[in-house]
Amino acid sequence: MSEVSGRPVGGRDGSEGGGEHGDAGRRERLLARAFVRLADTLADEFDLVAFLHGLSVDSVEIIGAEAASVMLADTRGALRLVASSEERMRVLELFEIQSAQGPCLDAFGTGQAVQASAAESRRRWPVFAPRASEAGFRVMCAVPMRARTDTIGALNIFRGNDEPFSDSELEIARAMAQVATIALIQERAIRERSLLVEQLQTALRSRVVIEQAKGMLAEHLSTTVDEAFQLLNKYARDHNRRLTDVARDVVDRKLSHEVLARRRAE
Amino acid sequence: MPKSERRARIVAAVTERGEITRVDELMQRICLFAMSEIAISGCTLALLAGTEPVGTLAGAGRHSGTITELQFQLGEGPCLEACASGIPVLLPDLAIDGAARWPVFTVAAPLGVRAEFCFPLGVGTSCIGVFDLYRDVPGMLSDDHLADARIAADIARDALLYLQEPPGHPGLAALLELVGMDRIVVHQATGMIAAQLDETPPAALARLRAAAFESGRSIYDIAQDVVERRVRFGE
Repeated sequence: MSEVSGRPVGGRDGSEGGGEHGDAGRRERLLARAFVRLADTLADEFDLVAFLHGLSVDSVEIIGAEAASVMLADTRGALRLVASSEERMRVLELFEIQSAQGPCLDAFGTGQAVQASAAESRRRWPVFAPRASEAGFRVMCAVPMRARTDTIGALNIFRGNDEPFSDSELEIARAMAQVATIALIQERAIRERSLLVEQLQTALRSRVVIEQAKGMLAEHLSTTVDEAFQLLNKYARDHNRRLTDVARDVVDRKLSHEVLARRRAE
Repeated sequence: MPKSERRARIVAAVTERGEITRVDELMQRICLFAMSEIAISGCTLALLAGTEPVGTLAGAGRHSGTITELQFQLGEGPCLEACASGIPVLLPDLAIDGAARWPVFTVAAPLGVRAEFCFPLGVGTSCIGVFDLYRDVPGMLSDDHLADARIAADIARDALLYLQEPPGHPGLAALLELVGMDRIVVHQATGMIAAQLDETPPAALARLRAAAFESGRSIYDIAQDVVERRVRFGE
């Protein structure tokens, strides 16, 4: 945070001031690092909350905001706060959701980026703005997280002084929101596919296990495999269990052939 | 070429020969696409449950089926490794690249198969099958052909995965009924041998494979003998 508040305030594009060259280089490095982090969704242990927390912290650093947060739509389309760079922001954003007004809700609703000065925000969001100013925020901005025609959430960046976010800063915010959106969608698709792979694997394995259990039972009971199958089936039905689970128990020797043989006698 | 464009191109090539009504037809078309667009002499699409072979789905060209099937019978080979690791296994010269890793398979591989490229059908390390490509001359596939093969494998995977929706979709059940019928006897024999030796099924299957290898007979023949009680393991 101290780096952010100590940052030299230049013109609208941050192109004035003595340290502008080094500043741009630093920003570039930060941006590159952030994008690498955003590509992490492909890693095995992807943590959605940590990922979005990283996004808000990076936004503060790179864009030169005081605080940032990310809201995502839940399955019913209602916005939820998922990450914020600091506690003050978290409390304020929860209030935004509660009061149903504010920059994030507007960006999400319209699919367009929103920026407002302290004066504008008092006009636009009469309930929300006073709370934001109490929390020390003056300039408020939100960019939508958009995938094709869907808006899945929004990234908020707030500033404690009256310097509006420049066009290039807004551009960076949009780019970060965009990459985060792609990463999130990719992660959802991967998760969905993994689930389907597991399902199919289970289906394929269950065939193997059932045949193995038939063979095992047939050997123990000196019957044919067809007869063994009928015993398995009957046991599963009588105990209201899935055939695959009963077969698995037989193969793992958790269910003895004596128990199944008894059913044959009945 | 961007990935989405490549995928669209392959989907178009696969579907241009007319409407596909059954999934085994789609699998066959994917094999035919590979035969016409990728520099190979044969290929096979096969289903596996993890590393447990389930059966072949489709194939085209020379040695189609036999080389994948051989790996299923032996329980070793690049296909099984690709499926276990979730990473493609590329062998531009099977005799050199394969000899140390799979000595039995490399020696037993049909004459004429000189290079093999196996692409897992899966997500991460979880696999449901393999796209096995081979050719009669050694040498690496071009980057373009490798990319085509990878995407063709993804298309086959997605077709299989999304067939499950909604649950109990008849397409998948019908497919599974067709696939791997010949292996059923191996699973049953595995269960019987496990009981005879008081062993786990994987250990029993290894014994069955070893017996097939030693006797030079096919695993199906021996499995049939076990199920019909002409052959016993143990004492």
